[in-house]
Amino acid sequence: MKKGLFTAAAAVMGAAALFSFAGCGKGNGKITVSIGMWPDSTLTQDVAMFEEWERQFEADYPEYDIVADKYDYSADTIAAKATAKQLPTVFQTYFTEPQKLIERKWIVDITDEITELGWLDKMDANMRAAVSKDGRCYGVPRDGYGMGMFLNLAMLYDVGVIEKNADGSYKLHDEAGNPLYPTTFAEVREVSELIVESYESTYGLVVLSANMNGGWQFSNMAWNFGCDALQVEEGGKVTANLNDAGAVRALEWIRDMANDGLIYPDASLSYSDWYAKIGSKNVAMAFCGSDALMMPVTNFNFNKDDIAFVPMPTGDGESRYSLYGGTPYVFAGNATKEQVKGALLFLKYMGRSPETDALSINAVELGHKTAQAKGMPILPSIRPWVNEDYLTKVNALDEKYINVNTYYYKDFFDTIEDYKRSEEPYYCQDMYKLLDNALQSVISKPGTANCQALLDTANSQFQNNYLNKL
Amino acid sequence: MKLNSLPEDRSSVSYRAKRLFRRNWSGWLLMLPGLLLFVFFVWAPLAQNVILSFSETDGFEAAGFNSFENYVRVFNDPMFSKALVNTFKYIFWSIIIGFLVPIFLGLLLSEVAHFKSFFRLGIYFPAIVSGIAVVIMWSYLFDPNPGAVLNQLLSALGIPASQFLSDPKLTIPLIVVTMTWRGAGGTVLVYLSALQNIDNSQYEAARMDGAGALSRVWHVTLPHVKPTIRMLFILQIISVFQVFYEPLVMTSGGPDGASVSLLLLSYQYAFQSFDAGASAAVGVILALIIIALTVVYLRLSRPKKDKISKRWLRYAKKINR
Repeated sequence: MKKGLFTAAAAVMGAAALFSFAGCGKGNGKITVSIGMWPDSTLTQDVAMFEEWERQFEADYPEYDIVADKYDYSADTIAAKATAKQLPTVFQTYFTEPQKLIERKWIVDITDEITELGWLDKMDANMRAAVSKDGRCYGVPRDGYGMGMFLNLAMLYDVGVIEKNADGSYKLHDEAGNPLYPTTFAEVREVSELIVESYESTYGLVVLSANMNGGWQFSNMAWNFGCDALQVEEGGKVTANLNDAGAVRALEWIRDMANDGLIYPDASLSYSDWYAKIGSKNVAMAFCGSDALMMPVTNFNFNKDDIAFVPMPTGDGESRYSLYGGTPYVFAGNATKEQVKGALLFLKYMGRSPETDALSINAVELGHKTAQAKGMPILPSIRPWVNEDYLTKVNALDEKYINVNTYYYKDFFDTIEDYKRSEEPYYCQDMYKLLDNALQSVISKPGTANCQALLDTANSQFQNNYLNKL
Repeated sequence: MKLNSLPEDRSSVSYRAKRLFRRNWSGWLLMLPGLLLFVFFVWAPLAQNVILSFSETDGFEAAGFNSFENYVRVFNDPMFSKALVNTFKYIFWSIIIGFLVPIFLGLLLSEVAHFKSFFRLGIYFPAIVSGIAVVIMWSYLFDPNPGAVLNQLLSALGIPASQFLSDPKLTIPLIVVTMTWRGAGGTVLVYLSALQNIDNSQYEAARMDGAGALSRVWHVTLPHVKPTIRMLFILQIISVFQVFYEPLVMTSGGPDGASVSLLLLSYQYAFQSFDAGASAAVGVILALIIIALTVVYLRLSRPKKDKISKRWLRYAKKINR
């Protein structure tokens, strides 16, 4: 009896081992399109919105099966997901990423499908360049952002930098129309001094320095201090220019701010920290992208009426740039043509295409209504499509739904077309990582940091380890 | 038996393997799931890692032999030397803080007469908290803002505010404090069980001989827990060599590489630079260092008792002859 039981147990274990290594799957004959930007199940209103789009899409295209497959892109997970062919058919990433994803064949060429739909020529030229390689298109832009300066208006008013109108709203310009808010880095310093004097344990500005976010911010600062470019392309050779005089001045400005206790004294802050520090009122100003302005509101209950977003300050009085990036939708490297076509059509049902038929515009409106129902701030945004009919209809919807004082954003959106500038072209993330190290040094040791030497080191490492590979 | 079949060679390997399987087939079947999982999750990745370290890579796939190129690239990266030095700094601080604290706590706990279970639970409690939650909590405590918790405490004591993790000199010791806070509980319990196995009569004898408290610890307690201390010492070094998520979450390896460890560097190569070859090379280097240290340690700490008993054996054989 005992032996029999033992034998049976052994047989079960053996069978379990064999079955654990066997996989089986059965399709329903439909083309499956998995959607990576599907919202988290806790966001019930967003899920309901996606389910509505899914219902409409599957009714019109019964040959397709839409599957929720939430994937938040991160550089840490993409390699494993792509190698294991576990990427959703369509997912969103950042404009810094497509080139390396294309190089590794982790995303697929969609030129034929998007041309067939007539969307290619309606794409914003800068955004199209970010998702293209050798004339082929690999993505659909969702929206764009420009880097600018986030202001806590209540704090700036408290320290006397800005004024108030009779109706209680903030006044950001003097009678002659000149900005009252800081427009140069020298003025940012002056305002920071006022903030530090007026509040306890509070700083003027937060400067990021980790997870490549420091380098990302710093490159914009370096341009605005007069650095023409951090990478110089001449005669087919690309040379690192991280130790340009403008970049050194920018780093020295940060060092001096750190040394005088005017910036948040943490040397390992990444992107989520800017809105954490703003949200908890530890700082009055931050540099960030125009697509993330709602983060302090949604995560920290920051009063949306106290937010202004203004152009990046200039360091030399002349150079004014806004680093320009955004979020594209990209398609898994192993997606079939039918899947890509289905995913592109689903974007139309989400209101993320240049189409202006009732279905597409209703989808855009549904997005606004859902945001409104959630009490989220609805802000102006940078458009991915440039066809007139699309802009007219979407701008009309914006006028109806935007629930912030657009005056606080006007200067930024009025100038973005002139100031916008794409990121440096080669090994951008690796360059940011090296710049992070320099930033961490000046923030952690501001009394002794030698900015020129730090940027010389970063420059030679970038040239030797990366640009020389080109 | 067929007429033309030859009897199987009983000394052959295949015959012996078949016999081994037939005799214990149910045992082999019981082992099979574990064995397959072990091959799949441990041996195969290990072998693949070594192969990748000598390969040009396409994603995580080997795309051709490239000799020692990955190793050369790793050795030329200034961050590698920082990570190597830092890893030894982690070991140094973990011996100072993480190794001695549990011994001390174990000794204290063994002396407690009342509320022993309460203190035991209290010391073990951090170990049941998720590791990531612990490091995030400590990151908040180590916020360098003068208004943050720890700086407020320092200020109340009249000590100037600290930059904590942003100070390159403090980063590693503070990460080790975090690791110790979470990990000490489990180690204390191991020491405690070793301490409770000591025969009380030895303490009584020592007391009768006039030994004080410190003398009893030195002459009775420590010799008894020495094997446990030795085992936990080597385990401590091996685990500290693998320090990874604490610096990843708390500092991302910064400031300026001041807390990057070898394993974190390997992770950064693989998942931030997408350089699986370099990542694998760091993994192999790390494994070689751990193997070398373990061998050296085991040689140095081989108990003299063994040598003596071997001598006795030889002596006894001589007499018997």
